[in-house]
Amino acid sequence: MDELVVRISHCVENGKINKASPYPNAMKGMEGADELTKQALDAAIGPDAILQACNDGMQRIGERFSRNEVFVPELLMAAKAMHAVMAHLEPFFKSGTVKVKGKFVLGTVAGDLHDIGKNLVRMVVEGNGWEVIDLGVDVKSTKFLDAIKNTPGCIVGLSALLTTTMVNMSKTVQEIKIQFPATKVIVGGAPLTMDAALKMGADGYSHDPQGAVTFLDKISAA
Amino acid sequence: MEIVIPQVEREKDTFEVKINFRDLTVNKNDIELALGYTEGAIPVHFEEMVDDVLSQLPSHCEIQAGYRLLDVNKSDDRNDGLFVGDKFFKLHKIVTSQLRKSEKAALFISTIGPAMETWAKTLSTEGDIALSYLVDIVASVTEEQTTDVLQDHIEKQMQMRGLKITNRYSPGYCDWSVSEQHLLFSFFPVNFCGIVLTDSALMVPIKSVSGIIGVGTEVKKVNYTCDTCGMKDCTYRAYRRGKTKRTN
Ligand code: B1M
Repeated sequence: MDELVVRISHCVENGKINKASPYPNAMKGMEGADELTKQALDAAIGPDAILQACNDGMQRIGERFSRNEVFVPELLMAAKAMHAVMAHLEPFFKSGTVKVKGKFVLGTVAGDLHDIGKNLVRMVVEGNGWEVIDLGVDVKSTKFLDAIKNTPGCIVGLSALLTTTMVNMSKTVQEIKIQFPATKVIVGGAPLTMDAALKMGADGYSHDPQGAVTFLDKISAA
Repeated sequence: MEIVIPQVEREKDTFEVKINFRDLTVNKNDIELALGYTEGAIPVHFEEMVDDVLSQLPSHCEIQAGYRLLDVNKSDDRNDGLFVGDKFFKLHKIVTSQLRKSEKAALFISTIGPAMETWAKTLSTEGDIALSYLVDIVASVTEEQTTDVLQDHIEKQMQMRGLKITNRYSPGYCDWSVSEQHLLFSFFPVNFCGIVLTDSALMVPIKSVSGIIGVGTEVKKVNYTCDTCGMKDCTYRAYRRGKTKRTN
């Protein structure tokens, strides 16, 4: 693998955005994801290879997060570095030269205003090569249904932080399954369990963002 | 010198407690713990960011807190909850047993207001997601601290009446359903402490806490009985464990 690509992957994993960014301490003054991506493209390295490097970096930090070796701040810095790479790759997505793995419609369910967990899921999923359609917080089931209609083949993710809003989550899952039985749904958030997820008719549950990526990748590979 | 926090009786037995930011001691170690790091293990970069947030915290806090004292009516044949005032709160038997000897109960709510939330949202919209998250966590820890101060205040007030208090318990913890927030809020005047409860039992501002404290001559505070609870990944367990480690 090209050395530049390896370095990009390393920058993403460690949240090194650009040369000016003081984070992480050990990489102060070094070139970051931004400069290295530009150099890679100038050196005619394919955007696919760069995207793969980005995904690999995000996957590694996501796994470290799942193992409690790093915490949310590190994950967020990695997401920022990943976005620096994506800014350079934007034209290739637009032209269709590189393709996303699939589309993920995501939102916090009706009655719930929490967005940090949902935003984290969005960033990690995006970083792993998916396009995320973020519907925001307090999302009514009709909005989910509209988004599914307008995004053929999408997978849906629902987030909730309180048991009381899990009731709305359950209703939303059921409505989705009635109107779009083939659409796969994953749920997550602090009060949820796999058991609760299956009871409400969801296809998957994850207690962290990386688990959501594993779920999505499995479906797209099937 | 012991701090005496003023309180105002807004309605009969319903008190607004005038907690000032200076009454809080927002501890950086608690923030590190809430972020997941063990003591001293937070990366320098984030520590500096936390310092920055802490320096702006006072101007982003609009603390409001209060409580209502109600009679507890014992029902010897039930261990699944407690009559407070004229309403029955369905509680786990562990909590029921801790509150059972109470003659009165203090139902409380507190908030640090919406400003930290707004700040975090603005930062997030501007793309400064890490700082936004740190603002959110500092806000959560500050709100927990506010509730600690409110609990201490209630304890002092009750001591003056020759009464003792139990630990505090909140809907959503210890198998107490969050939906009972509606029951709890029914005892407060509308918009009490500037907190509104939504249909889905969410308090707005988000950085708010509610709960119950038992009061009486026969009650006492005990070590939290987390070990007997089934909710293994409850953060309160971790929070308590962290606090115990540091204070012991
Ligand atoms: C689609 O696929 C997916 C996949 C993964 C997905 C996903 C979707 N969505 C999320 N994920 C996952 O990925 C993210 C990253 O790992 C995670 O997202 P989260 O959103 O869960 O995580 C955030 C990044 C960080 N996490 C958080 O911000 C929440 C952390 C914990 C400790 C917590 C905090 C800090 C607070 N709280 Co409270 N609080 C707890 C929380 C316990 C916990 N372990 O989570 C929880 C959520 N709170 C709870 C409760 C009960 C309450 N809290 C309250 C208050 C508070 C504080 C103010 C002190 C504070 C801030 C709250 C806030 N929302 O900002 C009250 C409600 C406040 C309100 N506004 O109504 C109150 C009701 C207590 C009370 N009576 O006062 C519990 C809810 C349980 C339930 N039965 O519903 C709780 C789980 C604690 C517990 N018992 O262990 C995962 O869940």
